[in-house]
Amino acid sequence: MLPKFEYYSPTSLSEALDLLEKYGEDAKIIAGGTDLLVSMRDRILKPKCLIDIKKIPELRRIEYKEGVGLTIGAAVTFKDILEYPNLEKKYRVLWEAVKTIGDMILRNRATLVGNICNASPAADSAPALLILDARARIINKNDGVREVPLERFFIGVKKTILKPTEIVKEVFVPEPPANCYGKYVKVMRVQSEDLAVVGVAGLAYRDRGDLIIRLAYSSVAPTPIRVKEVEEVFKKKNMSLDEKIEEAVKISSEKVSPISDVRGSAEYRLNLVKVATRRLIKELVEVV
Amino acid sequence: MFVNHEGGHYLEALKYVGKSITRIDAVEKVLGIAEYASDIELPGMLYAKLLLSPYAHAKIISINYEKALRVPGVVSVAVGDDFPFRVGLYVNDRNILARKKVRWVGEPVAAVVAEDLEAAEEAVELIEVEYEPLPAVLDVREALKPGAPLVHEELGEYAHSPAFNPIAGTNIANRFTLKKGNIVEGFNKSEVVVENEFYMPQVSHVQMETHVCIGHYMADGNIKIWTSAQSPFTVRYILSHSIGVPLHRISVYVPYVGGGFGGKAGINFEPLVVLLSKKAGYRPVKLELTREEHFLAAPLRQGFYAKIKTGVTKDGKIMAEKIFYAFDAGAYADYGVNVARAAGYSCTGPYYVPNIEAESLAVYTNHQWGTAFRGFGHFEFLWAIERQMEIVASKLGIDPVEFRLKNALLPGLTTATGEVLREDAGRVDQCIEAVAKELRWGELTPTNDPKKVRAKGIAALWKAPAMPPNAASSAIIKFNEDGTVLLSVGVTEIGQGTVTSLAQIAAEELGVPIEKIRVVPFRHTDLTPYSWQTVASRNLFMEGRAVIRAARDAKEQILEIASQVLRAPKDDLIIKDEKVWVKGRPEWSLHLKDIVAGYVYPNGNTIGGPIIGRGYFVGTRLSYLDPETGQGYPALKWTFGAQGVEIELDLETGEVKVLKLVSAFDVGKAINPMLVIGQIIGGGIQSLSLGMWEQYVYDDKGRMLNPNLTDYKIARAGDIPEEIIPIIIENPQSDGPYGARGVAELSMLSVPAAIANAIFHATGVNINDLPLTYENIWKALNKKR
Repeated sequence: MLPKFEYYSPTSLSEALDLLEKYGEDAKIIAGGTDLLVSMRDRILKPKCLIDIKKIPELRRIEYKEGVGLTIGAAVTFKDILEYPNLEKKYRVLWEAVKTIGDMILRNRATLVGNICNASPAADSAPALLILDARARIINKNDGVREVPLERFFIGVKKTILKPTEIVKEVFVPEPPANCYGKYVKVMRVQSEDLAVVGVAGLAYRDRGDLIIRLAYSSVAPTPIRVKEVEEVFKKKNMSLDEKIEEAVKISSEKVSPISDVRGSAEYRLNLVKVATRRLIKELVEVV
Repeated sequence: MFVNHEGGHYLEALKYVGKSITRIDAVEKVLGIAEYASDIELPGMLYAKLLLSPYAHAKIISINYEKALRVPGVVSVAVGDDFPFRVGLYVNDRNILARKKVRWVGEPVAAVVAEDLEAAEEAVELIEVEYEPLPAVLDVREALKPGAPLVHEELGEYAHSPAFNPIAGTNIANRFTLKKGNIVEGFNKSEVVVENEFYMPQVSHVQMETHVCIGHYMADGNIKIWTSAQSPFTVRYILSHSIGVPLHRISVYVPYVGGGFGGKAGINFEPLVVLLSKKAGYRPVKLELTREEHFLAAPLRQGFYAKIKTGVTKDGKIMAEKIFYAFDAGAYADYGVNVARAAGYSCTGPYYVPNIEAESLAVYTNHQWGTAFRGFGHFEFLWAIERQMEIVASKLGIDPVEFRLKNALLPGLTTATGEVLREDAGRVDQCIEAVAKELRWGELTPTNDPKKVRAKGIAALWKAPAMPPNAASSAIIKFNEDGTVLLSVGVTEIGQGTVTSLAQIAAEELGVPIEKIRVVPFRHTDLTPYSWQTVASRNLFMEGRAVIRAARDAKEQILEIASQVLRAPKDDLIIKDEKVWVKGRPEWSLHLKDIVAGYVYPNGNTIGGPIIGRGYFVGTRLSYLDPETGQGYPALKWTFGAQGVEIELDLETGEVKVLKLVSAFDVGKAINPMLVIGQIIGGGIQSLSLGMWEQYVYDDKGRMLNPNLTDYKIARAGDIPEEIIPIIIENPQSDGPYGARGVAELSMLSVPAAIANAIFHATGVNINDLPLTYENIWKALNKKR
């Protein structure tokens, strides 16, 4: 059973911020609850109060504006994202990543903002958001909204820069580069549903003929990470594509720092990073 | 379909037997109104919560539960010394709560009983236990070494069934030995000798329903139990034996069970809730395990180690086999000792081996305690045998299908225990051939991707019920006044569907439409006819025969009355379509409803009375096995089968996809083909899941690292192969009901070996340890490079 807690269900953002201000570290924000309730059941977390943000209309907003980008509110579920028109085409890498998260029952409930706030190294939505230059819009009672690139949002295993009185109001994902192609490769222990043993998101496009490749990883470091050094490799002039790919594989495998746990050994994960990176880049290059 | 077996006696078309009738419990279950133990709430009921041991092996120095008792709502706290009883099906080695020491991480040390679960959960965290850690034994081979820490110092004092052989002063809970022929001569005649070792970890049953039970020790000394048990009569018997209360004062009620797979056989948490009830002032006490508790504290399937040496001639005849099996029984062996025995007497798999020396051990360790699990030792040893057969065939350069057929155990040949396989036994050769044909054995499918390969693998299987020679079943058929029927049987409905098949048999025998037959949906030991246990794929066979006998008994009684009313001799009467007829004279007939509660003449005179038919069945001429040589007759029936897969293997990641799964079983007669297919598909998927993913992962302190379904992986819908082909083969066995044999466990025995054999064909790499996780496969492929 869950430890006892007080439950609030504010209907406006200001009400939610007031509650956060009042309870601070004793409070936890709940949206889908798919991570939080598990931790509470396991007695890892025992918050005195839960602030449910599902009834706050502006947090349920998901909106794409042509030429501007995609805004995903804190209470928007993965199901909402998957069903939003044209997202599969426009934000293919994100859409694909979201589709690998849990199963349909979980996606009906879990939220993207919850996924990044939980800050698991295995967060499937994070690599895609990282290579799409997504930003978290954070709000508190006194200072209004600040915008933080996702790369600076994660600071450790299950740790973010978020202060106890703050809420991630929404995530903003800018308009992707024209004619880009993205893909998320999630290596699992099974064929069906699982956490990522290794996740790789890749995005490729041509900038005036030059090939641009971006890569980010989950489950191979304390936080989801984007390996920007790889991007430089593909800008080099005097290397063949195959050489560039092998160089990218080498760099990625040096930048990640996987651990051994019940889900996989470090050496297996490192192998998967290499294999998945190589295969992913080859596929991206074929398309763009 | 016409039959003329002892089981069924009609020389005319069968109306219900052999038909794919919808399960009789389907509507109840789909509507959500079927009753499970968790649904049961009683007035004044209390709730129990367990404190589990954090150590694999430690002395209990002291337990202080004063703070727990002060939590509002807490009624009682119990510790091991409150209940000085031992329980066990075959070896009485199990404590109700840990006493003196703990033997695995997760062993219940104390129990809190409270008015509600929240109070119990709060209180259990306040119990303070002081432990003195002891050296733990966490590997089955280590446990056998001289000087290994003893899990049970008092093993010599434990009561046990005479069929078992615990060795005091060691960790051996049971030693089974078998000798057939002359092993030295056998190896002398062999031209090629192959020896290999195999291993598999402990696994959980992962039933959808965790263990749930309610105990009520009544103030008058009677005991009532409501439980998710597979075997109500065994619960009653062992409890009676352990705490010294006679059988007639104990009632055990079992509603539908949400999956058993062996884990709810024998006796589990029932003695605990009964004794907690007594301590808590004779109020009913309910215990329902969470999934995490189920992983840590409920019994599981034992781990397994094997070493097999096989001698063959160059032309592929097996001459000799030396076999060593060691089961990691965990902290208590209770029921588990019989797993080693069953694997011991079936040790060769479905092959004729003239000279055998085998030893099969159940070994205590400081792992979680093991019990029965679907397959009962056979899933384990068939992994070893079917890999070994593959390796031997490859050493000889003989096709593995041909090698298996060459050594197939056919009617007339002797099994490992010296039993001559009966002339109407099932045919393993036909099963192997059917699977090979369906798989297009020998044809290879190329892949476009050089990083991926496709391959096929086959493995055969056999099993007989592992049960005492006197294991019995019985059935009662009661007619209601309107001619409808209540069929009462002791087999529990744990998802397997046996009761549907039994209703079909009853309808066939009685000449009553199946819609008018109701199988009593619960078991209550006060009312239900005896059944030893719902295990071993024995119940369709044994209850099936008991139902036939009960139906015939009822019909005899009906004919007795009808004969007087119709003024015709009994042997001139037949029962059909709810009527008794004089043969050839349909106009001279009586409706069953006018007889089954007694026939009333127009003037009120009445003859006969309510019809109650009864029948029983026990195995014919089963025997104990010789304690030295293991020779004798252990098997009610042998069911044979074979399974095969086609896989795609990613050489760079070790990822394996099973594209096609084919299974064939000689079931004798499919009473309900749809249910047989259901078993074949369900069992095949469970087998795949166990083979590829399932395992208890322990750290070096014996702590389970994956006690949840996030990291204890089981197959989900998306893991099911796209193509599953079930094949039913019917060579009827004359003493089975309508010729039928059991199939339930058989369906899950050999998929892992088939997959590993396919990997071997694809890569030349032998993997002898389960599970075949992608990572383990990758590591094995890497080792070769």
